[in-house]
Order: sequence, then C-alpha cells, then structure tokens
Amino acid sequence: MIWAGAFPSPLCPKPTVETTLSIENLRVEYRSRDLGETTKIAVHDLNLKVGLGEVFGFLGPNGAGKTSTMNVLLGFVPPTSGTARIFGVDVREPIARQRIGYLPEQTYYYKFLTAEELLRFYAGIFQIPSKETEQRIDGVLKLVELDHARKRQIKTYSKGMQQRVGLAQALINNPDLLILDEPTSGLDPIGRMKVREIIQRLKGEGKTVFFSSHELGEVETVCDRVAILHQGELKTEGSVNDLLKEHSSNLEQIFLKLIGYSPQP
Amino acid sequence: MHPALPIALALATALAAGGRLLLWQQSRTQDTGSVFALLLGESRRAFAAQVFLKADAYFHRGFYPSVFDLALPDGKTHMAKETESHNPHEHTQPQHPNRDWIETFGRNFYPSEHRHIERLGEAREILPWLRLAAELDPHRVDPYTVAAYWLRERLNKVNEAEAFLREGLRANPDSYEILGELGRLYAENQRDVPRARAVQELAIAKWIRQEASKPSPDVLAYAQILGQLAALEESTGNLDRALAHFTRLKRVSPAPDTVQKRIDELQAKLGQPR
Amino acid sequence: MNTIWALAKVVVLEMVRRKDFYVLFILTVLLTATAGSVNLFNDRSIVRYLKEICLLLIWACGLVIAITCTARQIPAERESRTIFPLLAKPVTRGQFLLGKFFGCWLATGLALLLFYIFFGLVSASRDHEWPVLNYLQAAWLHWLMLGIVVAFTLLGSIVFAAPSSNGTICFVSAAGILVLGRHLNKVALSLAEPLQSLLYAFYFALPHLELFDARGLIIHGSELIRWDMIALATLYAAAYAAFFLFAAWLVFRRRPLN
Repeated sequence: MIWAGAFPSPLCPKPTVETTLSIENLRVEYRSRDLGETTKIAVHDLNLKVGLGEVFGFLGPNGAGKTSTMNVLLGFVPPTSGTARIFGVDVREPIARQRIGYLPEQTYYYKFLTAEELLRFYAGIFQIPSKETEQRIDGVLKLVELDHARKRQIKTYSKGMQQRVGLAQALINNPDLLILDEPTSGLDPIGRMKVREIIQRLKGEGKTVFFSSHELGEVETVCDRVAILHQGELKTEGSVNDLLKEHSSNLEQIFLKLIGYSPQP
Repeated sequence: MHPALPIALALATALAAGGRLLLWQQSRTQDTGSVFALLLGESRRAFAAQVFLKADAYFHRGFYPSVFDLALPDGKTHMAKETESHNPHEHTQPQHPNRDWIETFGRNFYPSEHRHIERLGEAREILPWLRLAAELDPHRVDPYTVAAYWLRERLNKVNEAEAFLREGLRANPDSYEILGELGRLYAENQRDVPRARAVQELAIAKWIRQEASKPSPDVLAYAQILGQLAALEESTGNLDRALAHFTRLKRVSPAPDTVQKRIDELQAKLGQPR
Repeated sequence: MNTIWALAKVVVLEMVRRKDFYVLFILTVLLTATAGSVNLFNDRSIVRYLKEICLLLIWACGLVIAITCTARQIPAERESRTIFPLLAKPVTRGQFLLGKFFGCWLATGLALLLFYIFFGLVSASRDHEWPVLNYLQAAWLHWLMLGIVVAFTLLGSIVFAAPSSNGTICFVSAAGILVLGRHLNKVALSLAEPLQSLLYAFYFALPHLELFDARGLIIHGSELIRWDMIALATLYAAAYAAFFLFAAWLVFRRRPLN
C-alpha cells in the first residue's frame, strides 16, 4: 500500500515508501488502581509509520509506552482512540495478523511439546498445507540453529534455545512484518550475536522488522530508523544516520538527552 | 557432653512417646478393632446407616427414595419401616407424581421403578453392603441378621451365615435378635434341635432381661423368637413345651386368634380340655 | 475449524504427556483391585458393589481431570506468556476459547474411554457379560456432563484469577449439583414464599448434571435408555455448554491481555 495523506504530527515525515505499519493519533489509557487517579495515559497521540523492508527500532525507558503500543498493534489491548493498521488492515481485525510474526519477551513455550510439534501447531493456525509446513519447519529450525534439538521437549532447552524457538515460531508463516519485543533480552553475547545475524538476514530477504530494545548499541548496528518514546510521547523519529549526524553523538547519548536524564556529578 | 548423648536421649524420648501413643491408640480402637473406627471415629455409625440403606437400595435394583422424598407429605417411610423390621422384601410401592419436566426427564436416567431383585442369585449383591455396615458399626445388629437370612435362605451358604452371626454375637453378646436368627439357622438349616433350643431360650432370656421392663418393648422380636421356639418344640414332639411357648406368644402376638388356633390344635393332640 | 483443532490437539497432547491422568488411572485400578480382592462370604460372583466402587472412582477422576485440565489452561497461557504469540496470530478470542474447550473435552473423553474400558473388563471378569450399548450410553452421558463442567470451568478461569480457587469452586459446584440438584424442587416445596419461588427458579436455571448419571442403570443391569431421551440429553448439554462458552467469550473478548 502507498502512503496516502499526511499526518498532523510534525514528527512524521512525508511518506515516500510502501507502508507496512501505520499508527495514527494512537492513545492508550488504562484505568489506574492508585487512589485519586482514575486513568493513566500510556500512549499519548502517537503517530508512526514503518516502511516496507525497514528495520525499525522502538526505544524508550521502562514505562515509556512501547509495550502498550505493541499490545495495540497485536490486538491485545484496544486503543482508547486513534487507529493502527498493519498492511492497511485495522489491527482489531484478526486477519491483520496473518502476515506478521511476533516474538514476545521471555516466553516459556509449551514445555511438553518438542520444537517440531510447537512449530507444527503454529503452522496449523496459519493453515499452511502439511507438506509446506514440514519444509518451513526444516528451514526455520536451521535458521535458528535448533535442527539438532528439534525432537527434544522444550522443557529441556536452555534460555537461549527457548528464545530461538520463539524466533522460529515467529517466522513459521514467512511473515512480511516481524514484531520483536526485546529479542536479545537475557541472552549471552553469542546468543545476541546470533539474533542480530538473523535480523540482518531477514532484512536481506526484504522483511520489515519492528523491534523494541534497551540495547542501544545493538539498535545502532541493526536499525535503519528508530523512534524514541518517553512517558507515552514520541520524542523523536528518524533514520539512525540522520540522528547521529544531527546530534553529533552516539545513540545512547541521544537517548539519554531526549528522556531528560542528567548524570549525577 | 558427648554429642551423641542428646541424640540418644531424644531418640529414647521419641520411642517412649511413640510406644505410649500406640498403647493409647490400641486402647481407643479396642472397641471395634477396626480401621474404620480409627479413621472415622463416631461418624462411622452414620456411615453404617447409609451403607445399610444402600443394601436396601440394591434389593430394589437401585431404586431408593431420598431423604427429601421421604420428608414430603406424599413420601412414605415404608423403607425405613422395612429396615426396622429387618424384612426388606415385604412392602408396597410408593408412587410420587412427577413435579416438573426435569423430574420427568430425569427418571429416564436412574432406577426410578420400584422393583425387587428377581433372580435367585441376585440376593448376593446386597451382601457387600451389609458386610461393610457391620464393619463400620459392629454394634448394629441388623446387618448380621439380614445378611444371615439371605445367606441361608437364598444362597445356601449356611456356614457363612453362621460364621457371620457368630461374629455379630462377639460384638453384641446380649443381642437377642442375633441369637434368635442363629437359633433359626440351627433349627431350619442344620436340624440341630438341642443347639437351636438352647440358643432360642437364651434369646428369650436376654429379651426378658433387656426389654420386658421397658415401656415399649420390642415385642415383634420376642414374638418371632417365641414362635420359632414353639414350632421347633412342636416339630420334635415336645408338645407341652410348645403349648407353653404358644401360650406366651398369644399374649404378645399381633394375631392372637391365629395363635389360639394353634393352641387348640396342640391341646387336641394332647387330649386336654380347652 | 483448523485453528480450533490445532489448539485442541495441544491440550490433548498436554494431558497425554502430563502424569496426572496416569496417577488417577492407576489409583482407580488399585482401589478397584483392592475392593475386588475382599473375600465376601466365599462368593466370587458378587459384582455390583465392585461396579459401584469402580464407577464412583471413574466419576470422581472424570471431574478431577476435566476441572484441573480446564482450570489451568488460560492461567497457564498467561503465566508462561504463550497467549501472546498465540493471539498475535490470526486467532480470534472465540476460536481460542473454543479450541481450549474442545481440547479439554476431547482429553477428558479419551480419559473416560480408557476408564470405561477398564470398567467393562472389571464387570466382565465376574458378570461374563458385555452390555456394550448400555456402557456406551452411560459413557456418552458422562462425557456430555463433563462438557458442561469444562465449559463452566473455562468461564471460571476467566473470572477467577487463580486456577486453584476456580478449581475448588467448580468442583464444589459440580459435586453439589450432582448430589442435591435432583432434590432442590422438593426442598423448595417445603419453604415459604418468596424463598420457594426463588429456589424453584434456581432449580430450573442450574445445569442438572445429575441427569447424566446413568450409573444406577448399568450397575443393576437395567434396560437401555430410550435413544430419543439420549438425544434430548445431548441437546440439553449442548445448550448449557454453549451458554457458558458464550458467557466466557463475552467476558474474554474485550479483556486486555497486558
């Protein structure tokens, strides 16, 4: 789909490429349990677009609204107002999730299943024909280097292997958009490197990757564009190179500056 | 102090306490010697009553009105009565009208017809529940008498019936009901007249000691034992004794006219004037 | 339908690979064997008490399997966070609930099948009879009843956060209905108004699980239940299961997953 129309936010550049993901005036409020506070605004009028084939880093400190935004994109939470579309389809429609792959943070997959069975289960949900299912299982297990452990129950996997089986399930439907929530969280340096390699390979295959991370060095290495969120508001958005040039600093410094963090003397 | 000393002391204390507890427990369970007494305590008597009712339900091929049915104005307590009389095969059938569609529909899925066990051997199916009722509450006498009745009358298991009655007698040495049933077994199944007589007479003596002074004694049991003893004496030619028993029976029998007829017959045989 | 089937298969696999079911089955076999080994007046052909004990154990185990299996489904998905990758796929919440329902129902059905085969063997070992149709009717009714239980446990697992509290509430409710459900109308008759009307209304509203209890009929070798009554019972169970599932969907469809 070609971008059509301009968004009111000055932070959004004029669209020039095909859009995979678009968020317009998104507002997410939660009913607060604190006394004297009725609602808590998690996301405040967010506008964002991610183009086809981009690797997009979604950054922000804890509580910035990253997970809330992702929850809306994945249909877990209904938006209070505004819209979010994936490939032009409103995220409230289940079909919007047909072409996406999602890797949540720290998920403990069905431990009584083997990797093969888990992937066959998810392939079943996408109604992939059985012959193709087997081919895809072979492919993704090789990609995440779990081919040797495919017949072992997941309960016997290490943390890194569990994260990789999560990545495999996110890829089973050959998605055009990957949403990764802290994909390298809790992994050792080799595990992180492997995940980075996989993301690069997917980018090479023309996939769009939208991911949140606290590892700013990693984001700087992998991402084409980034958005930084703080207290539910978009602080900046742009290509990594432009941001680095504009601020003459590394991404970590830019991030800390934008969220108003000043180190103690 | 040597470190092994407190350990040895603790061990000795534990063993002594354990032994004492075991003795205490044995003294508590001596009453029945049963694991049920240990597990269920006094509540086992309530369970025994339920299990006895289960036996009655088996006699009716699974049909049994609940306490809720019996509590209603149209509910008949005939089963309770039959339980009391230890004669679960002689009564009439109550018919509750269906109160709503759920009740009408529900009757398709459980035994809702009042029927009795039909085949000869089916009587054996009630026995496990009677045995369990006796295990739960050994001081309840009806499981022994009812089980013995079915064992000797329908299942031709006279030895088992005798053994079960003797078991009941050990737990209830003063039970005139069990003695009465045992006497009947000796008389009808073993043709052992002296033992039958001795046991029946003992039953009568026990009844007199326990019941005679009560405001409402269990005359039905007394009448049954007397009747059996009188018949026994008559069948063995001791007409004088039979006459004496029938005369006593006439005083307590619900049908004195019938007893009087037997007395008349006996007197005729003896050549005595009325 | 493929999605529902895929979800159901995982639930069935879970039951097959967990130890709960095997423990319950072995326990049933052991207790039945113990009951069968008791010498009752030297008569080895007494069978109905053994059928009764075996069926009582099967009913208790059936309830335990159905309730524990269902009560943990959604909380476990939340706790392990597998609900997120699952619902991030083209799965509606209705399909998710239906998949869980059919999975739990199928799993309990498979367990029941094994239990009833064992019951048939126990019965035939002394009765030397195979009233297969009677057993099929009893097992089918039992399975229908567990369908209602699975549906209301699924609703409970959305309403109550902890699987243990949901499990306890569902177990007590199911056992309460099985024991007292048939008699509530009689209790109502003994009450004064407006309690009588209230209790009568409750009596009509609650799912009468005891209707599906045909144990008495197979223990005492009664005739087959009329098939039209079986069909009606099936409709009755389907209606209640659908009602509970619809209520579960109403609660779950808009519930945020964060």
